Amino acid sequence: MAIGDYPAEYNPKVHGPYDPARFYGTPDTPFSQLKLGEVTEWIGRRNKSPSAIAGLFSRAYWRWSHKYVQPKRATIAPLIHIIAGSMLFFYTINYGKIIRERNYKHH
Amino acid sequence: MLSRLALRSELFRVAPFCASVRFTQTKPAVTTSNESIIVPGFPKPNGQTQPNPFDGPERDLVNFPRMVRLEEPAKTRYLFVPEEWFEIFYKKTGVTGPYVFAAGITTYVLSKEIWVVDHEFPYVLATIGMFYLGWKKFGKSVAEYLDKEIDSYEADCNSSRASEVDYLKEIIEKQKKEIWRTEAQKHIMQAKRENISIQLETIYRERALQVYNQVKRRLDYQLELANLTRTVQQRHMVNWIIENVMKSLTSDQEKQSFKKCMVDLQALAAKA
Repeated sequence: MAIGDYPAEYNPKVHGPYDPARFYGTPDTPFSQLKLGEVTEWIGRRNKSPSAIAGLFSRAYWRWSHKYVQPKRATIAPLIHIIAGSMLFFYTINYGKIIRERNYKHH
Repeated sequence: MLSRLALRSELFRVAPFCASVRFTQTKPAVTTSNESIIVPGFPKPNGQTQPNPFDGPERDLVNFPRMVRLEEPAKTRYLFVPEEWFEIFYKKTGVTGPYVFAAGITTYVLSKEIWVVDHEFPYVLATIGMFYLGWKKFGKSVAEYLDKEIDSYEADCNSSRASEVDYLKEIIEKQKKEIWRTEAQKHIMQAKRENISIQLETIYRERALQVYNQVKRRLDYQLELANLTRTVQQRHMVNWIIENVMKSLTSDQEKQSFKKCMVDLQALAAKA
């Protein structure tokens, strides 16, 4: 599977038009339905190859996009998401410099 | 080449059949409002889902329905916080849970100076204030304007198809009217037939009268002729008899009859 290809599990004859927000493999138990003891096992079952992780982010992006950006009567929400997200992101990458501005020594 | 063409045509023949079979097999899934962008099938103008004729028989429409663009985005609170987050909290903590959580986190990061109150801190408040003011002041009018724009754009995109549909509907109406009009032709034909039968009746009667008159004339002629013949024959016979009788009379007989007449006259005179 090269870069830009469809996932190996995707079969257009069965699945129809490709939905980039959808996972076409066999679905595992959702993370929200796990018991605490099963979490390590669940993480062990995950495919942790770079392409799988990239696919995870891609699906998340498209799910968010379908939900907030693509609808016909979209609101300002995605813009605020981007602004808030970039605020958090830049705060995180600059965290080492920002903590020099602390006013108190002991917390 | 020809065999491939034959295969092609076979495919084209089979495809709608497959589609119809599949359509009966799959039950239309219930549309969930905001959980997924997926709703089954492209709706047709009548609201029904539309099978894709190019889908094969193995196409799974129940688990993999066709994607359709959402009309409304997912619900959010305070312009951007997803409604689902509040729902997750609602099950465990009730209505105030998420607010307590947010306040607790904020207090924690502020108190531990993870979120440092530096010279850029007011920008956060300013950004929130700007968004709030903008939403208060322009939110409604901008939303209305954009809704109107997107509606007019969609109407524009659909206009050619809609006008085509309208045109075809108009044609159907006209055809129905024509059918309705054609029904009148039955009555017109009936009237014409009656008219012709009346004319035929008239002519028949005229001719019958003519025949009657002609026959009567001929019969009258025959009667007249017979009468005439008889009168002529009678007169001729009378004349002939008289003539012969007169011829047969001699002078003696005449004298005798004259005397007899005289005697009779005298007798009559005597009686009178």
